[in-house]
Amino acid sequence: MTVETPNTGHPALADLALFSSGDLPRGARWRIGRHVKHCSDCERQVFSFRGAKTELKREAQTETLTAFEAIADWTRLEREMLGNIAVGLAAARCIEKVGRKRTLFLRAAFALALTGLFVLGWLTHIPRDETGRLYASLQRLVTLNRPQQTTGTVLRTTADGIAVRAQGATLTILHPPSAVVSLSGFSAVSARYVDDDTGQVTVTKVYGQ
Amino acid sequence: MAAFALLSILPVCSRAADSAARWLDIEFPRDSPVLPVNSNLGLTTARVQGASMVLDLHASLLLRNTGTKPISGLTLRVEAQDITPSGKGSVTVPSLRIKPGEVFPVRIDMELARPFNAAGAGGAIVQVSLDCALFSDLTSYGPDQLQSRRTLVVYELEARRDRSFLAALLQSGKLAELREELNFGLQDLTPQQLGLELLRAPHRNRSNEQALQVGAVSFPSSPVKTIGGAAQVAGSEVRSPEVEVRNTSRKIVRTIDMGWIVRDERGREYVAGSVPAALELQPVQTGRMTEPGTLRFSHLTGQPMSIGALLAFVNDVEFADGKLWIPSRADIEQATSDPILRRALANSPEQQRLSEIYRHKGMSGLSEELRKGN
Repeated sequence: MTVETPNTGHPALADLALFSSGDLPRGARWRIGRHVKHCSDCERQVFSFRGAKTELKREAQTETLTAFEAIADWTRLEREMLGNIAVGLAAARCIEKVGRKRTLFLRAAFALALTGLFVLGWLTHIPRDETGRLYASLQRLVTLNRPQQTTGTVLRTTADGIAVRAQGATLTILHPPSAVVSLSGFSAVSARYVDDDTGQVTVTKVYGQ
Repeated sequence: MAAFALLSILPVCSRAADSAARWLDIEFPRDSPVLPVNSNLGLTTARVQGASMVLDLHASLLLRNTGTKPISGLTLRVEAQDITPSGKGSVTVPSLRIKPGEVFPVRIDMELARPFNAAGAGGAIVQVSLDCALFSDLTSYGPDQLQSRRTLVVYELEARRDRSFLAALLQSGKLAELREELNFGLQDLTPQQLGLELLRAPHRNRSNEQALQVGAVSFPSSPVKTIGGAAQVAGSEVRSPEVEVRNTSRKIVRTIDMGWIVRDERGREYVAGSVPAALELQPVQTGRMTEPGTLRFSHLTGQPMSIGALLAFVNDVEFADGKLWIPSRADIEQATSDPILRRALANSPEQQRLSEIYRHKGMSGLSEELRKGN
């Protein structure tokens, strides 16, 4: 729906603004478009809206780049990221749907009932020694296959590179998928590849000590 | 959640020189025969990953040979003291032929992950310095804290060996053999790749370990022979491998670089890498090379690899007089009948580079490249 300015026959400024950014419904857009085509005042107004929008966009971009360039240390980067996370979480909380608690309760009740039915069926149909055997097998499987928890410095290959991890922090030297990875002494891992840009063969290494 | 994800990605476009300086600290000695001309940070991004912040850093350095001798290779030391004081990296560029006055690029692509609330010193995030530059007469410059001089010399000797071998094939018109050497169109002969994890912490669970004999791949002209060896193996993990060796030459041996081949449950063989060890051996003397720590192997898909067998070979030997021995092409030919393993043993950095030249520029490009150094 569009509003015309009383007594002038021109569309309202708000509609012209919406028209300039292409946000009007099709019918209104067609009607105002026809008017603008024959009205130099309104056409000038539309151009001025478009110019202002472009200017705003450009300024916002410049300001963002300047701000990012200034963040060149971990502490400031961390503050910036934590701030962004806080804003993101607040936004997520705002859009949480009403009635979520009720849905959660229903799902939990359904899962509980299903588990109860499974346990009852197991107890009445599966012999006790079979249960014991299955439990022992599972226990053995878990003990054998559980990856050993590692502490201290760890060197490893990843999908993108070779990494050294120590005290929760990781330094990864990246390489292309064609790289040949190998052990290089018992305190280093290396990757070798031909750099597509320079044509040079490059050998990267990470060291654990 | 979409808003959260979008807000947690922070692109950092570092174009200003002062900003780049805070990301990257490049330190070369003033009398260095190679000096940085320019450094450039490409698109660098920061993001949140779990409870960590991750920084992707892509740097490009332009270096100039300011000395009087051609440079054959160099190693740059890369550190992030703020986040991994006990770990560091390096970028080595072998097979160079940089004449005095010439410039050449070196790229450093890295990712740094640091937990939130970790203490920092506030300096530059990444420090780059020269570790070693090797000249064409095999002399070197640099602190060599990473023992990169020896590696660069081995790469250069391998490069000379492979260039003259390929040049001889080219001159004698053995083009089919040459194509096969360069692995062109023979995907089945491509050396197998594997994933590695090297654990420095002491191993705790030893209940399912088994002792495994280490086999030997011998090069006829090797001055050091492998007598035998053993390692503790549990599934995909190898712990404390040791090898007994004998000096069969008339010279005193100072260092031995032992190569390792891993055979998986399907009988496929992988060259896992090599381990240098300082072991002084008089002529005829035997010695034992032992390594602490645990190695965990996996396939490229991340699936743990079950270790079927371990083989060791002498990759190179350094004598007390500073000279180095590397296997010749004839040695590699005679060491094994397995074409894939033979290819893996002969796969030097220079051969990899020449293969890429052949792939992109064909026989004429390769022939032109081989003419340059010979």
